[in-house]
Amino acid sequence: MPSSDRANPSRRAVFAVCLLAAVSGACASVQPWQRARLADPCMTFEANAALTAYASHWQESREGSSGGAGVQGGGCACK
Amino acid sequence: MKQKFRLLIFVLAALRLAAPPAFAAEKASRPSPAPDFSLKDAAGQVHTLAEFKGRVLVVDFWASWCGPCKTSFPALDALQEEFQGEGLQVLAINVDENAKDAHAFLAGRTPSLTVLFDSKGKSPLDFKVEGMPSSFLIDREGNLRFQHMGFNAKSKAEFRQQISLLLKEGSPHAQQ
Amino acid sequence: MPANSGSRSRLPFRLGLTAGALATGALFAMVFAPTFGRKSESEDINIFFHGFQDSRGVTVLSPTVDLTKDFTDRTSLKAKFGVDAISASSDSCARCHPDGIRSARAVASATLNRKYGDTTVGIGGEFSQENFYRATTLSTSVSRNLNKGNTTIAGGYAFSLNQPVLHPSEFTERQYAHDAYASVTQTLTKTTVVQVGVEVAQIRGYQTSPFLRAALNGVLVPGNSPDLRNRYTFSARIKQALPASTYLDIDYRRYHDSWQLDSNSFGIGLSRHFGDTIVASGAVRLYDQTGAYFYAPSYTGSPLYYTGDFRLFPFNSDLVTGRVVYTPKDGLFGMRPGSALTLQYERYWTTRSFDAAIFTGGITIPFGRKAP
Repeated sequence: MPSSDRANPSRRAVFAVCLLAAVSGACASVQPWQRARLADPCMTFEANAALTAYASHWQESREGSSGGAGVQGGGCACK
Repeated sequence: MKQKFRLLIFVLAALRLAAPPAFAAEKASRPSPAPDFSLKDAAGQVHTLAEFKGRVLVVDFWASWCGPCKTSFPALDALQEEFQGEGLQVLAINVDENAKDAHAFLAGRTPSLTVLFDSKGKSPLDFKVEGMPSSFLIDREGNLRFQHMGFNAKSKAEFRQQISLLLKEGSPHAQQ
Repeated sequence: MPANSGSRSRLPFRLGLTAGALATGALFAMVFAPTFGRKSESEDINIFFHGFQDSRGVTVLSPTVDLTKDFTDRTSLKAKFGVDAISASSDSCARCHPDGIRSARAVASATLNRKYGDTTVGIGGEFSQENFYRATTLSTSVSRNLNKGNTTIAGGYAFSLNQPVLHPSEFTERQYAHDAYASVTQTLTKTTVVQVGVEVAQIRGYQTSPFLRAALNGVLVPGNSPDLRNRYTFSARIKQALPASTYLDIDYRRYHDSWQLDSNSFGIGLSRHFGDTIVASGAVRLYDQTGAYFYAPSYTGSPLYYTGDFRLFPFNSDLVTGRVVYTPKDGLFGMRPGSALTLQYERYWTTRSFDAAIFTGGITIPFGRKAP
């Protein structure tokens, strides 16, 4: 492993995300009519968005780190 | 070598993002025979595609957990009542894996449309269902003609227009 | 590099005025929004009230209103208004205001999303104003559903201009932040969804808190932080549906920045449905961070950088959350079916001997014309 990787862990993270994006199609696919549990609001990452936004706000003003909340997707394939 | 591999992964990821949509068309472009099915209704009676030949069919795939289905189910039921006399048959195929959920949804309803049950999910696979709810309009000859995915404010008007069109085609009155 | 010295009016935010504006906005949204809507699953208004109280004697009351509105089947708007009303004083304020001081922050944001087939494109802006700080953000985002909804790829970029006032002087400084993120959400099985994301941000400009003082040669002085900070975040989440209407949520976040501040955040939560009307949740979050490389409890000599900012100190924190969401079948207090009441209580402990209790109560009201 090149030393530049150790110096910059984010590179490995970017690589991991790209890898997942590239191979995502190869995953065994769940059919639209099999999403009974996945359609539950508890399975979406945006559930309780108002609470999540508030938590990020107060945590970022009291802790030294931030980020990771700007992501979305998942849930019910209902159109 | 490692750099090239990384570049390849990056390009693959970009390609996946830019890939053309898997499904976009609302209409079946060319008439093709609808897939056959053999499914039971609530009373246990088996129904197949062949027995509806000569009628215009709406085959709708729905599930109790699907949000838009709560709107599409009563809307399709109303269309069944409206066009019953002219030869329309709506088949609402329930795809809940747990039949209990379907019965909870149907409790207190007395639909005019026919509910069929496919907890194994064979018929949606044959119809290549891409999202919930999905509906297929089949003409009197048994050909797939129109396809709907999702259900919104405009959907019912589109259904009505397409159903009217198919009902006029080769109707018993027109032939004589 | 003090810029625009004294050019900015002080804008002393009056709490009553801000709360009045908020209430008017909410009323406007509630009265007019339902009249030009289309039926959608997601159209709703969230009216929340947050109360934050910590062991330093700071109380922050924050009402927020969030609105999601569909204009067409493809275009939707998210708008948000919020206020932080800060009463009592923190240590840094108490130095000059021993009897306490009031402060307020107002935030407004709007995001317009438009669908093109499986792709959703968003553009938005946010503006926040408080005593001695103003932030303006413009953001863009794109997300795409693939594999029959089993995969979602998302990315975004935001630019912020932040303008701190060097209270008690009137100098206004500037800070520029660029923030980019990308994520992949993948459905693995009928009961499992995972999401991984990366976020990279660069902040240039003045980054020292004007209020927090460092001990330099035995004297308390405003700190001096570097003008450049690069921040890297990696996050991973998994949602797992369990038997008995129960859902497990695990998340991990790794953070590193060019000030050599590293942090880990690990969270685990369970949610369970009780009948058709109640969802109860409990969660725990464990957090640790190192200090920035120029952090020291006190400084001697003439160091280039020094800080009294507690956010740059090494510490750990624990957060425990309990929440109940009640969605009565016939609607809440005679409102439409789907309206819900949310109650949440949190306790936060840190190894900096700083604890907090946070309460949230709110209602969610769906709206929109029913499909014909």
